[in-house]
Amino acid sequence: MTTTLPSASGAAAVRQPRTRVRSLIRAIPLAPAIILMLVFLLGPIVWALYGSLTNTALSGPNAANPQFVGLDNYRQLFTSPTFPLSVVLTLIFVVASAVVGQNGLGLGAALLLRRASKPVRLIVGLVFVGAWVLPEVVAAFAAYAFFHNTGTLNALLAGIGITGPNWLYTYPMVAVILANIWRGSTFSMLVYSAALNEIPDEIKESASIDGAGGFAMFRLITLPMIRRAMAANLLLTTLLTMSVFALIYIMTAGGPGFDSTTLPLLAYQEAFKFSRVGYGTTVAVVLLAIGAVFSVIYVRLLKPEVDI
Amino acid sequence: MVIEERTRPVERVIPPESPAPQVRDRVASPSRRVDAVIVNTVLVLVAAVFLLPMVWLVLSAFDPAATLVLHLPEGLSIGNFRDVLNVDQTFRPLWNSALLSFGTGILTLAVGVLAAYPLSRYQSRFNKPFLYTVIFGTCLPITAIMVPVYALFVSLNLVDSTIGTILFLSASSLPIAIWMAKNFMDSIPVSLEEAAWVDGASAFRTLRVIVLPLMKPGLAVVFLYTFIGAWGNFFVPFVLLLDPAKQPAAVAIYSFFGQHGSVDYGPLAAFSLVYSLPVIVLYIAVQRLMGGSGALAGAIKG
Amino acid sequence: MRSHSQRLTAVLAGVAVLALAGCSSAQSGESDQTTLKVVYLIEGDASPLDAVMQQAKAEYEEANPEVTVDLQPLKSSADDYFTKLALMNRSEATAPDVIYEDSFQVKSDAAAGYLAPLDDRLAAWEDWGQFVDAAKAAGEGVDGNIYAVSLGTDTQGLWYNKDVFEAAGIPLPFEPESWDDLLDAAEKIKANVPDVYPWEIYAGIQLAEAGTMRGFQTFLSGTDDSLFNEETGKWVVNSQGFEDTLELISTVYGEGYSPEASIALDPALTQTVWGTWLPEGKVGMVVDGSWLPSGWADTGATPFPEWTEKIGWAAIPTQDGGGAGTTSMSGGWTVAMGSKTKHPDEAFDFITTLLSEQNALKFAVEGTQIAVRDDVAAEPDYTGANPTVPFFTDQVDVTHFRPATPDYPQISQQIAIATEAVVNGTSPADAAKAYDQAVIGIVGEDNTESGR
Repeated sequence: MTTTLPSASGAAAVRQPRTRVRSLIRAIPLAPAIILMLVFLLGPIVWALYGSLTNTALSGPNAANPQFVGLDNYRQLFTSPTFPLSVVLTLIFVVASAVVGQNGLGLGAALLLRRASKPVRLIVGLVFVGAWVLPEVVAAFAAYAFFHNTGTLNALLAGIGITGPNWLYTYPMVAVILANIWRGSTFSMLVYSAALNEIPDEIKESASIDGAGGFAMFRLITLPMIRRAMAANLLLTTLLTMSVFALIYIMTAGGPGFDSTTLPLLAYQEAFKFSRVGYGTTVAVVLLAIGAVFSVIYVRLLKPEVDI
Repeated sequence: MVIEERTRPVERVIPPESPAPQVRDRVASPSRRVDAVIVNTVLVLVAAVFLLPMVWLVLSAFDPAATLVLHLPEGLSIGNFRDVLNVDQTFRPLWNSALLSFGTGILTLAVGVLAAYPLSRYQSRFNKPFLYTVIFGTCLPITAIMVPVYALFVSLNLVDSTIGTILFLSASSLPIAIWMAKNFMDSIPVSLEEAAWVDGASAFRTLRVIVLPLMKPGLAVVFLYTFIGAWGNFFVPFVLLLDPAKQPAAVAIYSFFGQHGSVDYGPLAAFSLVYSLPVIVLYIAVQRLMGGSGALAGAIKG
Repeated sequence: MRSHSQRLTAVLAGVAVLALAGCSSAQSGESDQTTLKVVYLIEGDASPLDAVMQQAKAEYEEANPEVTVDLQPLKSSADDYFTKLALMNRSEATAPDVIYEDSFQVKSDAAAGYLAPLDDRLAAWEDWGQFVDAAKAAGEGVDGNIYAVSLGTDTQGLWYNKDVFEAAGIPLPFEPESWDDLLDAAEKIKANVPDVYPWEIYAGIQLAEAGTMRGFQTFLSGTDDSLFNEETGKWVVNSQGFEDTLELISTVYGEGYSPEASIALDPALTQTVWGTWLPEGKVGMVVDGSWLPSGWADTGATPFPEWTEKIGWAAIPTQDGGGAGTTSMSGGWTVAMGSKTKHPDEAFDFITTLLSEQNALKFAVEGTQIAVRDDVAAEPDYTGANPTVPFFTDQVDVTHFRPATPDYPQISQQIAIATEAVVNGTSPADAAKAYDQAVIGIVGEDNTESGR
């Protein structure tokens, strides 16, 4: 690994041995992280990747004698009737709840909070944080009770004379998307608040003196200045949302039918309900691939601004 | 591939924590007041919506005959809490949760901040690929790798060990932690350290003396995020711990789900409240500790 | 001033060493003391199983002072329990000696090599003759060896609300002899009693085993066909009985005897039905399990003290009264011995202690189980535990078990898919065909045979 000091210039050849040693020393702080991740994450991930090429099972004869099956699992997955649906549902879930929902609500809340009065800021902030820190199982239950046919939402709607639909049955994806936005927006809000804080007021002042109104200010000044944070947050929330499992599982169990079985749920069902661990990791590999595609899209799209 | 390499993050005239003069303080015109009313109203409405799902939780916790249906309890009682607040069901699991979560939070923070430093301060063509690879792993649901992880733990003799579980939880929290820590670190100008470097201070010294104090809100966010994740994690401790006395609250919550699909909603709600409370308290405490300045407070107090 | 990274590395190294040392020292301490690891499931918090395990542990340790029984209950849902158990069984270091095993998992786990065959030991056990044949079958592996012993079982029956039936003009006690009798009763309720679901049948994908076992297989077992041919080891496709059962479900839902799909397919429905609807008379009748009284007890999830007067129970009729006339399905849990155990004799001794008449009686009474031992079934404490016990015990004579081979979970889901399709309006013939195709896809055509 070669590194250069900000002020380094010329005479690189002379400095090679020292630079190399210095590079290694500079990399030492990375060591504990690398070791932990290598041992506990990389190893198992590689095993799982290999496992997707076998018919390993948790029970039954394939547990005693797992066989290498090559790409059979993949073939079976791509021709199974539930797979395309699962992929589409996952994409819908991720785009709607993370890209649009959490980022939109988070940014909106961050912008509004800056101009709110102090007591409002305190209380609203506390409520937001409350939704964020609720453990996933508790949040999932609260959301289940909220969207249930006889739950809070329909009770409120009945109060104003509307008969609400059976959300979890008729619009399961809407329910889980809203629940995920409820749970995750606060994190985006914190990120955007920090980013907004960093915009120097001088710039905003001079823009407003130049006649920039609210929306123009936002579009021409604010947005570009938080682009880095936005790109990073989009990537992060997208990847995190891809692996959401417990929230959906507790709310709808993937149903009705398979109407809310996203890829993590499909992987869980195959690996643990049917004991087909090899096949389950096949689904997980597909999930990783989709994550990779998203990552590449973000990096390509926002590359000049993303500064790493 | 040509990588745009920057020698330093954007230099700003104002360091992140000093109070910036607020434009809105200057002019109190009527239109600004109307603005403020609209903003406040919208926010309060949003907050009210956010609170709604929690209504059932709170009502059921105090309802001796709680069901899934939202209804006003006939008589508020703390019976559910009395049922639930005992060592076996609540206190010991909460203690275990605290052990696991604090351990994971501290370890992840320490290791993550250390790792973030060279990624933030030193340029290398490996920085970006490393970061992207690491962060891209977060889209993998942990359930997918629990089978090989269990086998790994057996071979390392770490099954049924709280420390082993902390190590694994930390490893799986590191990607996000490193990413977040690096981003927070990037916003602190290197120029502050350069002066110290010229004076002969080592990188670690500047990290400890200059960077970390300025990063306090960022550290708080990383710690809190990791803590919350570990606090709510069910599958990892369930798989890696055998002794029931070591199981955390996330696992213990399933004691309210009986046989054949029966659920005891009242005690479940009461337990959920007790289970969620420590995290809220921790959030408030961390905020106070961080002196209420910077990113965290910027969002809440301004 | 030592640098942070040096300090941190030292801490990490120390932690790792401690972890390894801590764990290995725990292992080495057993060298002079035999330890039996017993793993079981605790669902909910009050556990009769835990009580009987503690009792057995005390008895066994007293009789065998050189052995320690290490009870390791897992508090979780049943699904998670199976996962954890499988993980533990895969590694010799963590494989238990004695396992609490769902009868539904026995064939699969035996085929995986997790369980030890017990035939010889059982043959030499004097109590083995007390076990009813059906219970013996519950512990059989695919190869015919016995791998597990029933701790208790459950049977299914037709529960009905007496008030609803009286209001509909149906003579009590209700004793249907065929599916037509059931349909007639449902029609009467529909005509005479408003705002009631005459006949709830659990169906659909989200209700999983509750649907396929209680909603489907209880009725299928009353036809001449079955899901799986035990003798040839093949799954039956193209079966008239399968289609007839789907037809029954289609009729029940089509006539409105069961709720509309959006309510019927709710995963939490079962508790609503026995906890709220049956007590309140919102449902006429439902096939459900012998364990319902435990939910109605004062300590249960939905106390219902008047249940003995308000609720009736009847045997489930076969399709047209043929065969034994009535039928039932059973599940239940068993106790098995881990194949990797280093102390098979001690493990088996503990199992026999756990399954002694005393302990089996205790568990049957406190855990609302149906006895699998003749001597327990004759005990007055058992028969008097609640009024339904003698009735449900009788059902053991006509009961069936699910064909729980390793492929069963996937096939069960296909049954659920078929019932959900029918609830949503698909014709039974089409749903049955789809099921047949799916089963062939799962097990391969060689492992199927035609039912007609």
